[in-house]
Formats: sequence, C-alpha cells, structure tokens
Amino acid sequence: MAILKLYSSSVTACTRRTATVLHELKIPFELIEVDVLSGAHKTPEFLKFQPFGQVPYIDDDGFILYESRAICRYVAAKHPRSGLIPTDPKANALFEQATSIELTNFEPSAGKAGLPFYLKKLGWRDDLTDVPANLEILDKKLDAYEAILSKQRYLAGDTLTLADLFHLPYAGFVSLGSDIMTRPNRPNVARWYNELVSRPAWLAYQDGVKTTTEY
Amino acid sequence: MAILKLYGWPESTATWRVAIVLHEAKVPFEFVNVNILNADYKTPEYLEKQPFGQIPYIDDDGFILFESRAIGRYIAAEHPESKLIPTDPKKHALFEQAASIEFANFDFNADPLIKALARKRFLGQDSDQAPLDAKMETLEGRLDVYEKILAKQRYIAGDEITLADLFHLPRAQFIETYIKSGVMTSSSRPHVARWYDELLSRPSWKAFEGGVKGILEY
Repeated sequence: MAILKLYSSSVTACTRRTATVLHELKIPFELIEVDVLSGAHKTPEFLKFQPFGQVPYIDDDGFILYESRAICRYVAAKHPRSGLIPTDPKANALFEQATSIELTNFEPSAGKAGLPFYLKKLGWRDDLTDVPANLEILDKKLDAYEAILSKQRYLAGDTLTLADLFHLPYAGFVSLGSDIMTRPNRPNVARWYNELVSRPAWLAYQDGVKTTTEY
Repeated sequence: MAILKLYGWPESTATWRVAIVLHEAKVPFEFVNVNILNADYKTPEYLEKQPFGQIPYIDDDGFILFESRAIGRYIAAEHPESKLIPTDPKKHALFEQAASIEFANFDFNADPLIKALARKRFLGQDSDQAPLDAKMETLEGRLDVYEKILAKQRYIAGDEITLADLFHLPRAQFIETYIKSGVMTSSSRPHVARWYDELLSRPSWKAFEGGVKGILEY
C-alpha cells in the first residue's frame, strides 16, 4: 500500500492542521510541496484534483480528498481507537457541536486576526489592518469558550477530540501577535490552549510540515 | 418521551437548516419562538443553554444541543433510515469533504452579505458596498467550481443527496431571494441551477416556506 501523499505548501494553516492530526495518529505521510507563492495550486493539473484551487489535498493510495477537516476526519475514522471522533451517539453529537463551534465561532475571527500575524512572520505579507476588529470579536467568543471549558476539560467533553485539534493553526497564529488565548481572566481557555500547543504533533511542524515516515 | 423542542426564530437561516433535516427524517417537533427583537437569546437563562447567545438550539428530551449543522448531523445519525449521511468509508469521506465545502466556500462568503442585509433591516445600518461586491464576486467564483462538480455528479457529495446539500439551502435561497437574483439560477451555471431547483422542490423545503413552525405529524 502506497504511503499517504499530502499535496500542499509546507507552511499554510490547513496543512498544519492536517499534519498535526496525521502526527497524532502516527500515520506516515509524504509531503509533496505545492509552491503556492507561484500559483502552482491554480494550474489546470492541480485543479483536476482540487477544483477550488486550494491546499491541501491528499492522495491515499489513489483516493483523492480535500478540505483539511474532511481529511482529518477521514484518517481519524480509520483509527477509531484514537478516540478523536467519539462514537457514543450523545458524545458524538457534542463532538459535532464542538467542531461546528470551531467553524462558526472561532475560525472566522481567529483566522482573520491570526493569518496576518503568520503571513508577516513568514515574510509573505505585512498588513495588520483587519486584526484589531477581529481580535475584538474573538475576545467575546472566548468568553463563551471560558464558560464551556470551566465545566469540562476539552471542547466536546472530557476527552480530546478532533474539535480541539482543529483550533490549533489559528489559535497558534493569533498568539504570534496577541495574548488573547492566555489572559488570566480566562484561566480555562489558557489551560486548554497551553495544553494544545504543547502537543508534540503541533510542535513537530513549527518550521513547516515535512515528510514523516517514522514516529 | 418528550417531543423534541426547537428553539429559534421562524426566518433564521440556521433555524431553517435544522427544520429541513427534522422534516427529512420525519421527526415530530415543537417550535419555540425566541424573541430576537427582545434579545431573548442574550438572557442568562438562554446563555446557560447556548453560551454564544445564538439561535437555534434543541432540547431533545433533556439533551441540549446547539449549532444547526451539529443538530442536523445528530438527527440524521439518530435516523439512519433518512440516509442523509453515507456509511461507506469513502462515500463518508466525500460527504465530509462536501460538508466542509459548504462551510468554507459557500457560507464563508455568503455570511458577510447576509449580515450586511440584516444590519440594514434591523438596525438601519448601511454597509460599504465595495467589499460586499467583492464578496459576491468571490461567492460566484466558488459557484463556478460547484458547476464543474455538479456537472459530473448529481449532488455535492456524489450521486445521492446528503446533509451537505441540505445545509446549503437556507442561505442559498436567502441570497437568491433577497440579495441577488440569479446567483443560484443563472443559465450560465445550469448544473447549479438544476441542483438548487431540485432542493427547493423537496417537501422539507416547501413545508417551511412561510417560516419555520412545529410539525406534530407527517
């Protein structure tokens, strides 16, 4: 069986998200670099596999899949004992609630605040105009996270799930320029955030995602 | 066992999203109107159930769940006979891809347009048109990709309808009706138009055309 191939830029947010989950699950993968700065993800050859012209996509022994969260769900489903996707019906519903919270209540503002900090760090773009307004929105959202995380250890309950891991890229990027994730008035958010960013699967790719064949 | 209660607002696209799935799965439910003009969703009692102060949420015999897509998934999983979430691993993965496309490519670009209209309608606030025009252009660009996908398969995840198609419907209809006619029905995207039209003719959409309401019997 062929090694899973991850087609992407080594540094983009969604690639970091995917690689972190692959690492958590100890899945060997080959990174095939797509030079997004030169528009390699917009060529007709690329669009055949990912018609939106976005990274990443995977080729898992001939099975093509895109959208980082879908890729993460696909690989986690192959490793049910990881517990990253709960199977008990109510635990699963609360997991889906948590993944939806990440999408609707975290990513929009954390992405728009975090990405500018990250692009500046990479030397790709220096434009922090959108940051303050989005940090303000994120601040209010994190108050709701504090309420949830004061009652349970992780976003879906008391065990770690994909929902927590999905937050990593933008939570990490926002922290490049703001202390919003670790403020003392939100001790549970800080506790949860610090636990996530100390995970080896996140730290492994701080300098960019790379082919990983051994764990 | 108590009847499922859906707390929401009759014209909210997220409340609609849940109602459609309840109807598809033939689940009886009671609708409880949350008075949004009164900001009932910001009271401490409401925030206990939904800490983000958003609508809708459900109370399924004491089990509280929010986020419309999570509720939809819960209902579909409790009612596998509705066949809205494929079980075969590869079809399931393609369903997850489609569900992610819905949020990342459609909703992400539709949201600012819908929020601008809501601000105008409820708060009388005008928005800068130029960024909104740019968002609409982006949304239509994404729909051009949907056109390519839907030219090869009947629905967004494959040849069978899934939650991923249904999740699009409320906001697709809202944009088509209140923001820019032709976005979903233009002859320049015949497969998108076919797909959209098919979704609109489903009983689960027609049941709530005038707004979401409870259904005790199907």
